[in-house]
Amino acid sequence: MSVIAPKFKLSEFIKSLLDNIFWILLIAVLIAIPAIQVILFAIEMPVINGELLTPFLALTWIADPSRTLPIIKAFMTTDIFRVMAFPGFGFAALIAAGTIFIERKMLAKLQLRVGPFYCGKIEGILQLMGDGLKLISKEIIIPAKADKPIFWAAPVMFVGAAAAFVALIPVAPGWVVADVDLGLLGVFAVIGFFPIITILSAWSANSKFPFIGGIRALFQMVSFEIPLILSLLGVVILTGTLNLSEIAASQSSFPWIVFLPVGAIVFFITMLAELERIPFDLPEAESEIVAGWLTELSGMMYGLVQLGTYLKLYAFAALFVVLFLGGWNGPMIVPPFPAEIVTDGIHLGPVTANIAGLPVFTQEMLNGTLWFVLKTVGVIFFILLPRGVFPRIRIDMLLSLGWTKLIGLAFVNIFIALGLLYAGVLGPGGLQ
Amino acid sequence: MVGELAGNYSTVVLMFGFAVVAMAPALIISRMISPRKRSNPVKFLPMECGQVPTGEGRTHFMMQYYPYILMFVVFDVMAIFLYAWGSALLELPKSATLPMMGFLAIMFGAMAFALYQSGRRRIW
Repeated sequence: MSVIAPKFKLSEFIKSLLDNIFWILLIAVLIAIPAIQVILFAIEMPVINGELLTPFLALTWIADPSRTLPIIKAFMTTDIFRVMAFPGFGFAALIAAGTIFIERKMLAKLQLRVGPFYCGKIEGILQLMGDGLKLISKEIIIPAKADKPIFWAAPVMFVGAAAAFVALIPVAPGWVVADVDLGLLGVFAVIGFFPIITILSAWSANSKFPFIGGIRALFQMVSFEIPLILSLLGVVILTGTLNLSEIAASQSSFPWIVFLPVGAIVFFITMLAELERIPFDLPEAESEIVAGWLTELSGMMYGLVQLGTYLKLYAFAALFVVLFLGGWNGPMIVPPFPAEIVTDGIHLGPVTANIAGLPVFTQEMLNGTLWFVLKTVGVIFFILLPRGVFPRIRIDMLLSLGWTKLIGLAFVNIFIALGLLYAGVLGPGGLQ
Repeated sequence: MVGELAGNYSTVVLMFGFAVVAMAPALIISRMISPRKRSNPVKFLPMECGQVPTGEGRTHFMMQYYPYILMFVVFDVMAIFLYAWGSALLELPKSATLPMMGFLAIMFGAMAFALYQSGRRRIW
């Protein structure tokens, strides 16, 4: 409830209004004119329907839906759209948010609880939004003598590193943010950043529990990196490429998990360890060291780390799908679009508007995305499931598992791949 | 040429930058709208389950992990070398695999020896 100030004068009110308008105009002109200049001179505008898209033309076309579609289609091929929305951040954050909700509901069902129930009336569907509002409105407490710049930067860097991981994942044919030749090595490089960010965050907090948790996280991630790298070598031997899109495309007739089940199992176990999930959640063991390296993070900083964790979970599950489960390949179940939609357009409701070329996405892309999301959700389910089933293991068991058993199995996997290649089952002259 | 190769990876950096630019405002907005009650001496102490913390926060902590770090440094690099071989395997003649088997044997033998030593001296 706002009240008029006791010394209200109309003339002063109008003066303040004019003042505000003046400042808004001044700032808008100072920012808008350089922005328009940048758009006109620096950025290469796309050519749509044989015409160069100037800002004036774009404004004219936006008024007419039938002429807006080419602009939307041109926008969807840009890097900005890919980074922000579809194969990039928006898509991954959506799946991450869904994962958090499904995890809470599923764990509750496994443990004969109800889980989130009241927020949003229908099975607690708005619980995530409520949690987000709670986190963003909580006070951020930074412990005394903490190294403040590093402590503030660590959660943001964590989300950034997870997003860089997501950037390398191909979702559908041609739909990938960064289509690089050495995609798999890029994945290893990005994975290498997480222990550094973790140990920096833990060290800068100047507290004992985060420090112990950070050291545990560092050792765990470091020791499981070698089985992780070795277990994927079999796929590279059979495909002969490091490009993730080509690896996914090479599995059009059968996924590699059929021939390399050992590698898939080793990769799945190392994935659980890299994600710090039960049964390998020693860095966050809540009954031993309060919350591990997350102990001193409060409010939105904790929220950002959670977002980064689940983005990383999605990226690892998607990597498993791309490498072992065939990526976007699957039976074509999306029906083909009728020809008249593409040429004549469809009639929208009472107001008849013929919008030609309406299917913004192709049939292959929709089908690929559908299969990719289905498989990824399946893998995420199997990542979440151990949390309700297994206890936490000791750190010496973890180390002996990682350094002896998994590395041995990864070597077995390499020899299986070599044997398949030289026996002529796969590769040139074989099935593929 | 090198610039083109590096330029392919610019979208990865762009994604990193977008995440940082999109998420940093969450911290700033949180700082703006959250309550900031006046402080007391206990509030900003490190969390130690209700006890008043004693001693240094950043201590030297003996984890007895040194042999594993050494092994990691060696075998991580060797595993990445294996990728250079694995991605070019289809173009190589079959006789080129034999020296690689020797390399794998040395790698595996060295790792087994290091693990045996670390197990014998109880430095898990």
